[in-house]
Amino acid sequence: MSSDLSNAINNVLSDEQDVRSATAAYQAEFPYERDEEAQVTRREFCNFLVLTSTALFVGAAGFSAKAAIDARSEHTLPPMPIDGAAELQPGSALNFHYPGDETAILLRAKDGSYSAFGQKCTHLSCPVHYAKERDRLECPCHEGGFDARTGAVLYGPPPRPLDKIDIQTRNGQIYAVGREVRGSEV
Amino acid sequence: MKFETTELRYKRLPAKAPLQRGRAAVWQARLVLLVMINLAQLWILSAAVDAALGHEFRHLLGLVIASGVCWLISLSIFFWWKPVGSRQSGSA
Repeated sequence: MSSDLSNAINNVLSDEQDVRSATAAYQAEFPYERDEEAQVTRREFCNFLVLTSTALFVGAAGFSAKAAIDARSEHTLPPMPIDGAAELQPGSALNFHYPGDETAILLRAKDGSYSAFGQKCTHLSCPVHYAKERDRLECPCHEGGFDARTGAVLYGPPPRPLDKIDIQTRNGQIYAVGREVRGSEV
Repeated sequence: MKFETTELRYKRLPAKAPLQRGRAAVWQARLVLLVMINLAQLWILSAAVDAALGHEFRHLLGLVIASGVCWLISLSIFFWWKPVGSRQSGSA
């Protein structure tokens, strides 16, 4: 009795009382399982859209805040010797981590000089690699290219140069001593 | 033999109350608006990611504000722009 009453109240209060029943003529003429079709009501979809909107706002705000805070925080990085750098052959590259777990790439030009860059492509953070035959750094994801000497963008979608790793030679050992994030104006 | 079009078949059915059809239209409009706002916010999020990776931080604040405005609009649609309920329509 009480369930009949609650059903009746729900029918009166609901805006969608006929969502899961056949209402149009063609639906009555083709009697298939309509529960499958109407698993998501308009109300449920509305709730989902509002939650999605909230998530997108929080995502945009959070990502922007983190990027801005990271850019403003200036921290001095400790010098770190790069193992195997002295034995690196001219015209070849060596991967290392600096600072912490950030991947970086050390290049030795044919004239023997060293240069080092962050390995993350500035487009969407894919790892770049040294293309020896073309003497440049290339990103395999979206075909971006960087100059092997300066890290400047040669072509493709990257908006700014690669992060530059400052290196120094101390007693014949190559050290990474800092990391410089460069903007699009370089 | 005369063929009956879908439109004619609908006309034979007992017509839904105008208020019910109006409510359905409002629900539909809410959904369309919310979908459009979601699409705009998706674009804003991708633009924010692009700007952050490119270190163009001057664009970020505007993009976050735009996303917040979209969110407020979707909240206002969700909480205040509702179809008239059955009880209100009965008394009106």
